[in-house]
Amino acid sequence: MSEYFGNIKTGAVTIATGMGITLKHFFNAIHRKGDAGVDDVDYFRQVDGLCTLQYPHEVIPTPKNGRYRLYNNIEDCIGCGQCDRACPIGCITIETIKVAPDDLALCGKTSDGQQKKFWLPVFDIDVAKCMTCGICTTVCPTECLAHTPVSDFSEFDRSNFIYHFGNLSRLEAEAKRRKNAELQAKAQAEKEKKAADALKESKGGE
Amino acid sequence: MQELDTAGLGSVRVTRKNDNVVVIEKDLATEQMVLAMGPQHPSTHGVLKLECLTDGEVITEAVPYLGYLHRCFEKCCENVDYPAIVPYTDRLDYLSGMNSEFSYALAVEKLLDIEIPRRVEFIRVIVAELNRIASHLVAIGTYGIDLGAFTPFLFCFRDREIILGLLEWASGARMLYNYIWIGGLAYDVPSDFLKRVREFVTYFRPKAVELCNLLTENEIFVKRTRGIGLMPAGVAINYGWSGPMLRGSGVKWDLRRNDPYSVYPELDFNVPVPDGKLSDVGDCLSRHLVRAWEMDESLKIIEQCIDKMPSAEGFNPRSAIPKRIRPKAGEVYARAENPRGELGFYIQSDGKSTKPLRCKARSSCFVNLSAMKDLSKGQLIPDLVAIIGSIDIVLGEVDR
Amino acid sequence: MSSTALSQISMPFLMGNSLNAWSEALVGFNILGLPLGLVILAAIPLVFIALYSLTYGVYGERKISAFMQDRLGPMEVGKWGILQTIADILKLLQKEDIVPSSADKFLFVIGPGILFVGSFLAYAVLPFSSAFIGASLNVGLFYAIGIVALEVVGILAAGWGSNNKWSLYGAVRSVAQIVSYEIPAAIALLCGAMMAGTLDMQQISVLQSGSWGFAHFFLFKTPIAWLPFLIYFIASLAEVNRAPFDIPEAESELVAGYFTEYTGMKFAVIFLAEYGSMFMVSAIISVVFLGGWNSPLPNLGAIALNDWTNGPVWGAFWIISKGFFFIFVQMWLRWTLPRLRVDQLMYLCWKVLTPFAFVSFVLTAIWEVYVP
Repeated sequence: MSEYFGNIKTGAVTIATGMGITLKHFFNAIHRKGDAGVDDVDYFRQVDGLCTLQYPHEVIPTPKNGRYRLYNNIEDCIGCGQCDRACPIGCITIETIKVAPDDLALCGKTSDGQQKKFWLPVFDIDVAKCMTCGICTTVCPTECLAHTPVSDFSEFDRSNFIYHFGNLSRLEAEAKRRKNAELQAKAQAEKEKKAADALKESKGGE
Repeated sequence: MQELDTAGLGSVRVTRKNDNVVVIEKDLATEQMVLAMGPQHPSTHGVLKLECLTDGEVITEAVPYLGYLHRCFEKCCENVDYPAIVPYTDRLDYLSGMNSEFSYALAVEKLLDIEIPRRVEFIRVIVAELNRIASHLVAIGTYGIDLGAFTPFLFCFRDREIILGLLEWASGARMLYNYIWIGGLAYDVPSDFLKRVREFVTYFRPKAVELCNLLTENEIFVKRTRGIGLMPAGVAINYGWSGPMLRGSGVKWDLRRNDPYSVYPELDFNVPVPDGKLSDVGDCLSRHLVRAWEMDESLKIIEQCIDKMPSAEGFNPRSAIPKRIRPKAGEVYARAENPRGELGFYIQSDGKSTKPLRCKARSSCFVNLSAMKDLSKGQLIPDLVAIIGSIDIVLGEVDR
Repeated sequence: MSSTALSQISMPFLMGNSLNAWSEALVGFNILGLPLGLVILAAIPLVFIALYSLTYGVYGERKISAFMQDRLGPMEVGKWGILQTIADILKLLQKEDIVPSSADKFLFVIGPGILFVGSFLAYAVLPFSSAFIGASLNVGLFYAIGIVALEVVGILAAGWGSNNKWSLYGAVRSVAQIVSYEIPAAIALLCGAMMAGTLDMQQISVLQSGSWGFAHFFLFKTPIAWLPFLIYFIASLAEVNRAPFDIPEAESELVAGYFTEYTGMKFAVIFLAEYGSMFMVSAIISVVFLGGWNSPLPNLGAIALNDWTNGPVWGAFWIISKGFFFIFVQMWLRWTLPRLRVDQLMYLCWKVLTPFAFVSFVLTAIWEVYVP
């Protein structure tokens, strides 16, 4: 019998406690917690209150080292392709064209003075596939590939998720390829000519 | 026990109370009905399907069907380099990524036999314990939802949000960190991080008490969980349970103590087990209480780590990271205490490749879930919900 | 106490201030032999339910729950999200009205209707003001208790007609729950009826008026009246399937209980019925224990607060605010407590509430007989 009444009593008391807590929060709803990020000094000095942030208008700030959207600074990219090989899911596609010797100056140098030796007609990152693990950024020798703290980049079309960073248009790439092919053909022809000359010489010498 | 035997297979509801088996409704057998609970059921915590054979509301048998979230983790691992597996381990138990990474890193480090800088170890423990609190907050909050209490869930998520913010600040990502690397860390923690973590500890203590008053002590909550889903210690061990589930059954087993790794031996913390006063040992309430107590222990661990941490001067979190990971041929099994129990990685290397020959994850949720058949026998549907909630499964880890 | 004492000072209104004056005038209002007044009489509570569930029921509950959980609640549609409910209704109107192919079509369609009618019929005997009551029955309270049981039929029809196992569970649970909880609820209300000596809702309210305001309410008239009050309040939560007794819907167990399969306006009608019965039980408890449309403010000498705040219009204000207060408490409970299990619910009903209801019944009887 005492258990019976004891149960009723604990039930009443604990329910009252719980209701007290919710009522306290209800009346506390006049306050609103700010939108400071964790890296803010006053983060834990914000008032207790409603903690909703209305997303598109207010956002939780992402820290500076936030790993979200991939971005490639193509000016600094030397086209080594390490990121492509390191990516666990293969969301990076790279195509390179060797820079012709007379174009080296045109192709330019990276910001730390390294000579770039490849044109990059295609440097595509499929950010929809990207799982923001950050492995590609750690292998990048020139640190041109980086995750930016931009966390919201939704699109209506799947194809918009493929970010093109290539520094050549298709026509230019075609031209470069043709040039390379020509150079190669020239070199080939020269080689053949040389070989033929050598042959002739050796024949003439006989 | 005599009662139980004569009751036969019909509608039997068995309640164990201090070894006295009580049988209810034994003569009310009606037609049996197959009830598919899930995979789109609100309280199966993801895509678990339970096929229940029910008799009225009494469940005579519940069989879990898995695999809806199978992502070939182990096969993926065989095709990527050792460091590239780390982000995949995040996705096993997505509520406690840090802990999964930690145990994978332990495994590969054991295979490579490398020394880890001391500061790295402390940072690892801090982030892992922070993540443990976040994970337990989700477990407790969703358990409240399973039992119909919505408000504690929101309070839990409010505080979890802060932890996620802290971990994002340290690692750059909110849930899938890729922070603990083989042999080190991705980055050192930001300069103010430890101060903010300490502030969080002081902030969180009263919130945990409030949560306890609101949910854990609530008489309805106690009535719903106490004595439900009883699992005796012996059976729990035989099933291979680990973590809060095993401790809920009264077995004082914590890998941080019993198979110590990292700097845990230097730290002072308790392994909470229920004493049978607040709950019946081995029931849903015990498991819930163990989780609640563990949050407190984690706070203690974090505070100690901050005190004992070596300074950041001349510290390079990547100093011990091997340039090219190609372990010599061999195999290794390393395990760590995850919020949900023992997460172990078995890795086999052929000595030539930079990819593991085999990488198997021993998932705690999967093992804990395997006892579902025993736990659910003779329970009511609402109790089944309470039991699933108390197992605290993350389907990402169950299916892998 | 008579009706003349009620409303001397309040502003005179179109049809006079005496008891039931407005509703009687409406009953007599005929055009070309058509009983248009009766239609208006019936339409007033209907419009009230619709308006209140739109504003306070849906929007209010969302905001209240949000504030209790440190959230903002709806904010996007209109200033402070005020138009959110309108947007919801528009959405529900546009939704396809799906009848599952294997459902029992007749039961499936008629279920929400019965459900709503069940809760709406009880409004006939709710005195909205001293001058307005749908039907001044001399068995009003009895009628109100009885007609609520009609909801059971609707729930069962909806649950069975859906041909869904979860719905059936919800429906069966709900029926067991509502039928069981009628007993403590009815006994607790009987205590109030005993104190009044009548079942006429209007008369019960009249008996609780006086210059001391709240001191005349039945809740404060006897030292034991809080017990049936509390019992009725708890039982009424179960009768309208509100938390912690919301096991018929039990989102985390039964998906959505008996209305799992409903979409569009049928779903909206079920919700309207729920909000309708929420106010209905709140109004009944206000009438029986808290004086209905009487002002709780006492006359303090020259400051005749009670006299100033009584009258037909004030009466409507008071009963609606009292009802809203109880609805607030219902919401408050819902967002605090976990849900009971079916057998615990029955335990609470049969082993706690019913015995205590009997005890309070006997004590009230003794009080009424031996204490003048």
